[in-house]
Order: sequence, then structure tokens, then C-alpha cells
Amino acid sequence: MLEVRDLHAAYGELRALSGVSLRVAPGEIVALVGSNGAGKTTLLRCIAGLVPARAGLVRWDGEDLAAVRAHRLVERGIAMVPEGRRLFGRMTVEENLRLGAFTPRARAEREATLGRIYETFPRLSERRRQFAGSLSGGEQQMVAIGRALMTRPRLLMLDEPSLGLAPRVVESIFRVFADINRGGVAIFLVEQNVRAALALAHRAYVLEHGRIVGEGRGADVLADPQVRQAYLGPLAIAR
Amino acid sequence: MRALLQQLILGLLLGGLYGLAAAGLSLVFGVLKVLNVAHGELIMVGGYAAFWLFTLLGLDPFLALVLVIPLTAALGLGLYGSLFSFVVRFDEETRIKNSLLVGFGLALTLHALAVRVFTADERSVTTEYGGQTFALGGLVVPVGRLLSLGVALGLIGLTHLYLARARWGQAIRATAEDWEAALLQGIDVRRAYMAAFAIGTGLAGAAGSLVIVGYSISPAIGLEWTLKALIVVVLAGLGSLFGTFVGGLVLGIAEAASAMAFGGPYREVVGLLIFFCVLLARPQGLFGRS
Amino acid sequence: MRAPGGADLRWLIATMLALIALAPVPLVVRREDLLNLGVVFLLSVALAQSWNIIAGLAGQVNLGHAAFFGLGCLVTRSLWVTGTPIALAVAAGAAVATTAGVGVGLAAFRLRGAYFAMGTLALAEILRVTVGNVLPDISTLPATTIAAYRLTHRYYAALALAVLSVLVVAAVGASRLGLGMRAVREDEAAAEASGVGAFGLKLAAVALSTALAGLAGGVFAYYHISFYLQHPFSPAWTFDAVLITFIGGVGTLQGPVLGAAFYVLLKEYLAVRWVDVHLLIFGVLFMAIVIALPGGLSEAVQRVAGRLATSRRDAGARLTG
Repeated sequence: MLEVRDLHAAYGELRALSGVSLRVAPGEIVALVGSNGAGKTTLLRCIAGLVPARAGLVRWDGEDLAAVRAHRLVERGIAMVPEGRRLFGRMTVEENLRLGAFTPRARAEREATLGRIYETFPRLSERRRQFAGSLSGGEQQMVAIGRALMTRPRLLMLDEPSLGLAPRVVESIFRVFADINRGGVAIFLVEQNVRAALALAHRAYVLEHGRIVGEGRGADVLADPQVRQAYLGPLAIAR
Repeated sequence: MRALLQQLILGLLLGGLYGLAAAGLSLVFGVLKVLNVAHGELIMVGGYAAFWLFTLLGLDPFLALVLVIPLTAALGLGLYGSLFSFVVRFDEETRIKNSLLVGFGLALTLHALAVRVFTADERSVTTEYGGQTFALGGLVVPVGRLLSLGVALGLIGLTHLYLARARWGQAIRATAEDWEAALLQGIDVRRAYMAAFAIGTGLAGAAGSLVIVGYSISPAIGLEWTLKALIVVVLAGLGSLFGTFVGGLVLGIAEAASAMAFGGPYREVVGLLIFFCVLLARPQGLFGRS
Repeated sequence: MRAPGGADLRWLIATMLALIALAPVPLVVRREDLLNLGVVFLLSVALAQSWNIIAGLAGQVNLGHAAFFGLGCLVTRSLWVTGTPIALAVAAGAAVATTAGVGVGLAAFRLRGAYFAMGTLALAEILRVTVGNVLPDISTLPATTIAAYRLTHRYYAALALAVLSVLVVAAVGASRLGLGMRAVREDEAAAEASGVGAFGLKLAAVALSTALAGLAGGVFAYYHISFYLQHPFSPAWTFDAVLITFIGGVGTLQGPVLGAAFYVLLKEYLAVRWVDVHLLIFGVLFMAIVIALPGGLSEAVQRVAGRLATSRRDAGARLTG
């Protein structure tokens, strides 16, 4: 479904991605873990068309995305929840969500999708007329996820959804991811919270300094001693 | 006392047009982060359009709005495509600076064109009702100017409604807040920019049309009105069109008061002083939210 | 601009030669209209170079430049017609302009980029309106001065000023001061972070810029027999300087000179039948340059010269190879 082949990206002289290849199949949950500055966000932004690639290929359903302008990815079924949520703070929760159904395909089912999102996130239903900027971090993340779901994606990409959230909130959000996936949506998850991400994912990649240095099933990558040492700290080894 | 109130009323009426003039500039600035300093020249173009529609077709300037607004909006689209679409490719800070320069060149060009085509004379339109006044508790209120105020407010209201409710209106607001996030929702940001620029220009054209009713225009008013619009935008901040309208009213009243206090020629100075002081007080620029 | 070397040194030499070539002109040419054209050209060079310092070198777009031109002119004229020797009057005018410039800098340098531009424009307009109200009259030289008026003196004064302005820009560009200014122009925040005293540099730039503008104003006062005292405060003078500098190539040594030549000649050529069309042309040209050819005429000339050089080189290679 999503295929990334030998992707290179850079910011001026600074190389961010040096030949990254990965894929996401329909219905999968794929996690991408790596430390800060490894290039995870750059990779997502490259796929989403926000950052141009220097070389390499991004294919969606066999189509080369290089020629596709960023705003057309939503029609094709790719949605992204960017790092830091990036909500429209001066618009209400409901306006943010409704704006997610901007494209014709999503608009056709807008009310139904909206209803389901309010079921999944009852807190948002209570706050629907509040300005998005006034919500707590966890609630904003719910709005961001909801807004992306409103586009009726086949692939949902998330950049560090757990950032700045309390552990309990992270837990509930990851449960929502599992639900979404059960509904048929593939998930590509970039996370620093390695434990939660790998516990959820079917498959995972490890990204370091712009290169894929590891790949495998979620549980296997989680059990890998090098990964444990790098990302889960000395305590993990003792376990 | 009465003389002061009279002047304040007149200042208020003029201030409504300041508000409309500023609304277009504010919209473009807020959405595209582009400072079109040729905005005053666009107002002038609108005024001339109304003038010629009146002179050639006998069309009342208020009715002519129906033609002037789409015409100037179309001009705006053309200007966006040929000029400002290149400017928006830069990052925000470079964008503002470059748009200032491009706008400067555009202002010069439009001004020179106007002088060639229309000559440097002042033009105004006198309709039958335009000269009429009515009395409000001993004060004289010119009908034409009052109508202009009403129309200005109405246009701002319509624009506000569009931005609040219409699909593309909301898309424009979203783009203004965070254009990358807007892209991620499937909004064609380029189109949002075009729409915002066209609306902004249309509002400028409308302002010009209204200016010609109670006042007069000439090619030279461009810089003057650009400065007025800038002053109001800086005064009112971005974000609320109604706030901008009120800012315009405030400027109009302030000018009238200062003209009474220091004499007519210093009318301009108070606005410029306010402008400079507000700028100093908010050196982070117009986007900083306190 | 880098330290003189290579292309820039060639431009410096070319520019200086061009200006020096103008020196013997009054000895050969008697026609007053040509000499007047010369004065206008030289004054434009000086005014544009002065703007080039703050905008081209230091990156601060000052849209209130006319204020300093006007102040220099006003002070010079006032002193001169009341008996002060012209040289002293011009110096005093420049001093006042510089003081005002530093004052504006102290007040307005908190503003960045476009806000600085708008702020300086506002200040200049305030000054213009005030001067226009307080001194609305025409200033005319006393009869004795008019009788003793020698155009060639004005010509050489303007030439000296133009040469001075070019030398100042060359000197600053090649100095550490210029290096610092360029750092500020490229990225003020980064410059500050790396210890470059941005504020001091900007102040130095505005001082030099307004000093030259004030001198230009003084020469203007020396040159014109009569004019409205508020005239030199008009923003048109700023816009002229901006146009000339950008069209010639902002931030370069030769830009204002190329631009001034182009501007003055085109204006002269079009003056009779097509009044104001020159502004139309310049407006369009200006926009084209901002969008497509930021180096202005300088860049265009260099590209053509480069292509000529390559074709010559290729021809040479074909000959030998």
C-alpha cells in the first residue's frame, strides 16, 4: 500500500534521510522508533509532501507520489497527525473536526464519522463548542486524531502522539489506535515511547541517523537487547 | 461643543471607510502573511471604476458595487498570479519584506497608470441624495456618507459570515492559522491564498467606490489610504474583521479630534504617531499574541 | 560585496573611471541643460548610495530616507541664505541629519524588517507634514547670490559628493564593519547569537547613511535657486533612491551608479512627451527585479559579460584544440 524506497532528504547541507526503505501493508500497524534527530519526523513530512525528497521513491497504491501535491494525499486516503497536534486553535473543536472532512469523499460521510468520533472521544462532545486552543494536551491530541479520522483515511500516520501526555492518557489513546486499526485503517506510528509503540505494532523499524538499522515484528524488536539498551534504559536489561 | 461633536460625527463616518479599507489589507496579511502596500492604489482603482461607471453609464455608485467588487477581485486574482504567488514561496520573514518591495513597485506602477489614464485631477461623484443631509439633534449628517458607513459595515459583516460559515471561508481561516496543517486536511492552500487575496482586493475596490461618493479620489490617494489601512491594522491587530472596523472608527474619531485640537493640517500626524507608537509597543510584529 | 578582489575590484575601477571621466565635462560642454542633467545624475548617485548603505549593506529597509535628505537641505539652506559659508552650511546640514538619523535608529531599531520600513515611513511623513505646515513657503536665493551663481561649481560639488559616496560604500564594504553589517543583513538573530553587536552595527550604518543623505541635501540646497522647503521631504525622494538602488543592484557598489544612469537618462528621454511613463516603466522593472533578478542591472551585466567570456574562451579553445 505504502512503499518507501531509498529515500534521501536533506535540509540544506544537513542530511536527514540517507536511503530509507520501508513499507506499510493494508490493515497493518507499523511503528518507527529512533532517538531524537534520527529523522523520523522528516520521513513523515517527506511522505506527506511537506518536505521535498532529494532522491528515492514514495509509492502509494503503486502511484509515485512525487508528482502529487501535498493537499491531494488526503483524497488518496493518507492522513497525518503532525507533531505537536497543529490544531486550528482559534476555531472550535467541532469546526476543527468538520474541517477534517474537507474533501468530497470525506464530506459525503461527515455526519456519520463525526458521530463516531464523539462516541470514541466523549470528552470532545462535551467541549465541541470550545476553542481548540483552550483544551488540555490530551484533549487536543484527541481532536487532532479525530480531525485526521474525519478524512476517512486508509492509512493514518502519527508523529509522536504521546509527546507531552500523561501515561494514563497515552494508554487510552493507544487503545483508540488499536480500535481504529480493527476498523481496517492501517497505522504508521512514529514514536519515542518505544515500549507503547512496539507493544501495539505488528511490525517495526528502527531509524538511526537517517538510516533504517533494524526491522522486524513488533514483539521481536521490543525483545531485541540492543533496542532495549538504546531506548529502554539500563533497567530494561535487568528485567 | 457642537462643532466638536459635528467633527466627531464626520470623523466617525470617514472611519467606517478606514475600517473597510483596513479589512482587506488585514485579511491578506493574516492569511498570506503578505504586506500589500499597493492596497491604497487598489482602493483608488475601485474608486475610478465607480467613477467611470457613473460617468459613462449613469450607474449609482452603491449599485455599481455589484460590478466594482467582482472587477477588482478579478484584478486581484491577476495580480496574485503574476506577482504575489512568487512572493509566497519564501518563508514568513522574507515573505513580508519581499511583499513590501513588490507592493511598492505595484503601487508605483498603478499610480503612474492612473495618472496617464485618468490625469491627476480629483474626481468625485455627486448623486441626488448624496448632497442631502438630515439633522440629528442639531447636528448635520450627510446622507451619502451615512449610507457608505452602512454599506461598509454590511460588507464586513458579509465577509465575516463567509469566513465563519462557508466551506472555503473556513479553509481560508485554517490556512491563516497553520497552512501546513491545512494542507494535511486536503485544503489547497494555493487556492485559499488566491481566494483571500481576491476578497481582500474586492473589499479595497468597494472602499474606493464608497470613497468617491462622499469624498473624492485622485491618483495620489494611494499612499494616503495605504497608510490609513496600515495604521488601523496595527491598531486593531489581526483576527477580527469587526475589530478592524472598530479600529477604523477609532482612527476617524482620533483624526477629527486632533484636527480640532491642533488644526486641520495635523490631521494626518495623529494617525502616524499612533501607528509608530503601537509598532514600538509591539516590536514582535502583528502576529504576536500577547 | 566582498573585499576588493576579482569582479568587485573591476566594478570599483569601472565606476571610479566613469565618474572621473565626468570631471572634464564642464570644460568642454557649455550647454546648461546637459550640465543640469549631470548634477541630477550625480545627486541621484549620492542619494542612492546613501540608501544603499543602510538597506543594501545592513539590510534595513529605511523608507524614511527623504527625511534626512530634507533636513540636510533645510539646515544648509537656512544657514547659507543668512550668510554662513556654503561649506560650513552643508557640514551643519549633514550633522543635523546624522543626529536625527541616530535618533531614529535608537527609537526604531527594535522594529524588524517590514515594521522598521513602515515605522520610518511614518516618521518621515510626520516630519514632512510638520515642515509643510510650519514652513510652507518657497525658499529663493537672494539676488546677489543668483547673480554670482555658477553652475560648474554645483556640478563639481555634486561630483565630489558622488565620488565620496562611492568611496564610502567601497570602504565600508571591504571593512570589518561591512562584514558585520552583512551578517546582520543575512540573519540578524543569528548574528546576535554569535556575538556580533547588531545594534551598534545598525547604528553605524544609519549614521553613515544619513550623513551622506544630509550632504546630498546640502548640495541640493546649494544647487537649486528656488524650491518649496517641504519638497525634499517628499517620500518621492526615498522611492527614487529605492528604485535606483534596486534596479542597479542593491547591496553592490555599482548598483546605484548603474541605476542612476538608467533612471536619469530614461526620465530625460521620456520627459517631454511621456510624463510619468518612466515611473510606470520603473515600477514594472522594479517588480521584475525583486521577483526574478535580485541583482538588478549589475547581475544582468555580469551575466552577459560572463557569457561573452565563455564564448571567447570556447573560441580560444577551438583555436588551440
